[in-house]
Amino acid sequence: MTDAAVSTFVYVTYIRTTPEQLWAALTRPEFTRQYWFGIEQETDWQVGSPWQIRFADGRIADTGEIVEADPPRRLSIKWRNEFRPELKAEGFSRCTMVLEPTGGAVKLTVTHVMERSGSKFIEAVSGGWPQILSNLKSLLETGELAVAEHDPDASQRK
Amino acid sequence: MSKPEYVYVTYINAPVDKVSDALTDPEMTKDYWGRARNVSDWQPGSRWEHQHYDDASDIAVAGTVLECDPPHKLAVTWAKPGGGSESRVTYLLEEVFGVTRLTVTHDQLDDEQAVKRIAQGWPAILSSLKSLLETGHALQMTRQRWTR
Repeated sequence: MTDAAVSTFVYVTYIRTTPEQLWAALTRPEFTRQYWFGIEQETDWQVGSPWQIRFADGRIADTGEIVEADPPRRLSIKWRNEFRPELKAEGFSRCTMVLEPTGGAVKLTVTHVMERSGSKFIEAVSGGWPQILSNLKSLLETGELAVAEHDPDASQRK
Repeated sequence: MSKPEYVYVTYINAPVDKVSDALTDPEMTKDYWGRARNVSDWQPGSRWEHQHYDDASDIAVAGTVLECDPPHKLAVTWAKPGGGSESRVTYLLEEVFGVTRLTVTHDQLDDEQAVKRIAQGWPAILSSLKSLLETGHALQMTRQRWTR
């Protein structure tokens, strides 16, 4: 990216659904569990409220806070890794999701930013988001997932 | 400093050979790639053209086939006809857990402006490709020509 002190991952996908359904899929546990490899999000989605996600086995994966919640348009989360010390040490990132209706589909833009260059955390999420969001799209369009298991190889790639 | 690149990864619930075929099947590209077709004999060194489906003389992008190893890899050079700088697009198709991980790398781009431009296109095309292969229907927005 142009600003050397920032690491950014951006992913855009177009999903044949409505903004309301996509918002529900992003925020409701019965959806996230399915497309996000068993992950549970715990929050009331109010601005300023704590937010955390747990693995299917109950371990806390990431923690943070809801920064913006404007259903069904925009969601922003202060987000820190909790299960890998070297990633946790980088501190809080910011993940923003923007939903825009466009010609029979919804454009979903996920922007994940860490205020440092060469962030290992951003490198890790760069492998994860394409899997999660491919699954989300498949689930909403077909009722099935694209990848049932987490692809561990992806996070090692760029 | 190396030239900027753009990478997009998508997982498609379809076999690798179906995804590979979809990259060059005009009856599919016309629906998910803005009513266009990709034409070549796909031999290394051969020319390829990204033509309007209804008018083969209308060529938006053209280049040379660098590598063609179906169904796993296709690499081409990429330029607007009539001059302009040449970039490179590589499609990598890998089977993971019985589905396809498609990685499109568009590199050797001139600058960050060029990255921004192409970042408008690939997500729409590849989202629509995924919809077409998984549901039988491409997204409406990619069935017409791009407005340029």
